[in-house]
Amino acid sequence: MIVLLILLFAGIILFEVPGLVKKKMWRELAAFLAYLLIGMALSIPQVLGVKLPNPTKAIEALIKPISELLK
Amino acid sequence: MLEQGKIDSKQAIMLMLSTILPTAILTVPAVTAKSARQDSWMSIMIATTVGLLIARLVVVLGLRFPGKTLFEYAEEILGKVPGKIVGLLYIWLFFLYIGSGVIREYGVFMVTAIMPDTPIIVFHIVGVAVVAYMVRNGLEVLSRFNQLTIPTTGLLAIVFILSTKDMKLARLLPVFDAGPLPIVKGSVAPAMWLGEIVTFAMIIPYLIRPREAHRVATLSILLCSFFLTMSILEALLIFGPNVTGHWIFPAFNAVRVVSIANFLERLESVIMVIFMLGGFVKLGVFYYAAVLGSAQWLGLKDYRPLVLPVGVILVALSIPLWGENIVEVLHFIGQVYAPFALIVLEVGIPLLLLIVSLTKGKGGESDA
Repeated sequence: MIVLLILLFAGIILFEVPGLVKKKMWRELAAFLAYLLIGMALSIPQVLGVKLPNPTKAIEALIKPISELLK
Repeated sequence: MLEQGKIDSKQAIMLMLSTILPTAILTVPAVTAKSARQDSWMSIMIATTVGLLIARLVVVLGLRFPGKTLFEYAEEILGKVPGKIVGLLYIWLFFLYIGSGVIREYGVFMVTAIMPDTPIIVFHIVGVAVVAYMVRNGLEVLSRFNQLTIPTTGLLAIVFILSTKDMKLARLLPVFDAGPLPIVKGSVAPAMWLGEIVTFAMIIPYLIRPREAHRVATLSILLCSFFLTMSILEALLIFGPNVTGHWIFPAFNAVRVVSIANFLERLESVIMVIFMLGGFVKLGVFYYAAVLGSAQWLGLKDYRPLVLPVGVILVALSIPLWGENIVEVLHFIGQVYAPFALIVLEVGIPLLLLIVSLTKGKGGESDA
């Protein structure tokens, strides 16, 4: 599973990066890598079975008074 | 400009219809029927009013800043840093959140209703891969694909007519039984769904005739609420409020009972087709908005490099963000995310933007 995931990321990099380097779009390249890093940070722990904190729980706590009303 | 394509008003109406409807017909009936019971149709009326007001708000705002999307005029109105913060909120808490929610709803639906033995992640990855291709090709391709598939929505009306023989109008009685409060509570979820018209703020600059934006937004809300009312009424008239509130996909089950002359049966595939094709377009619109918004937020010259990484993020978010099982998914959507998005992202921030732009006198005079 983890190998497949890394292969997928390698595939995405191979697909996008050469074109960006050729066109000298450095800003786009930086944004692409930053987003890909976020994607990796979100997906690799899940494949390894690490539980991530859930932002929906934070929203739940934030709007608790309102959702109590909606019960 | 980042996006070269232009779409006409008819395509925009169809696109907005697909942006709101596909998940709404499946998820909203159960959430609304739980609190408003047989008066659910009144909840939809309230939600439609709210939706029309939001549509008006978004279009007035968009027409004050011709050629600019939400992310660009937020910065112009609020200044650099607060504008960037608003942009960030919309990318992560609206477009990516709802996008991953659509993927999850699609996966959950496929797994619970149709293919119980396939791992859910397979549907997520395949769905996103297809949509990524569409988004990479731009807004015009997305709306043309939608034009091709939107006629399936009309099947909803045909299915409704076919199931009339199982319906009893008495199941809507007594009218106004529980009083006004449950009806208002039940209207939050559909109002949030109709409020997804906020996405239209990303599309207004790419209309061939932006002056028709008011008509587009209003018509799409009215059409959506028409089909939504139809699918809620169908479930209510066939099963009554108790059963409808306890089913996960009442509209789907309602269509299942249709049986004409032992020949025309198992019409739930119609709902499935609408949900799958429409769900792809819905995901496409939010995906596209997230990608285009990120590119504008970062000041890029091209949004296409971001398509695949955002797809990875969408798949990665779809599982942890919406809970472990279908009960949690529906709870998070109906009771947690719907009121939050409605209050903060669909009414709060656009209203704030409009008030600030009026007081600072920014943007051209709106023609509306």
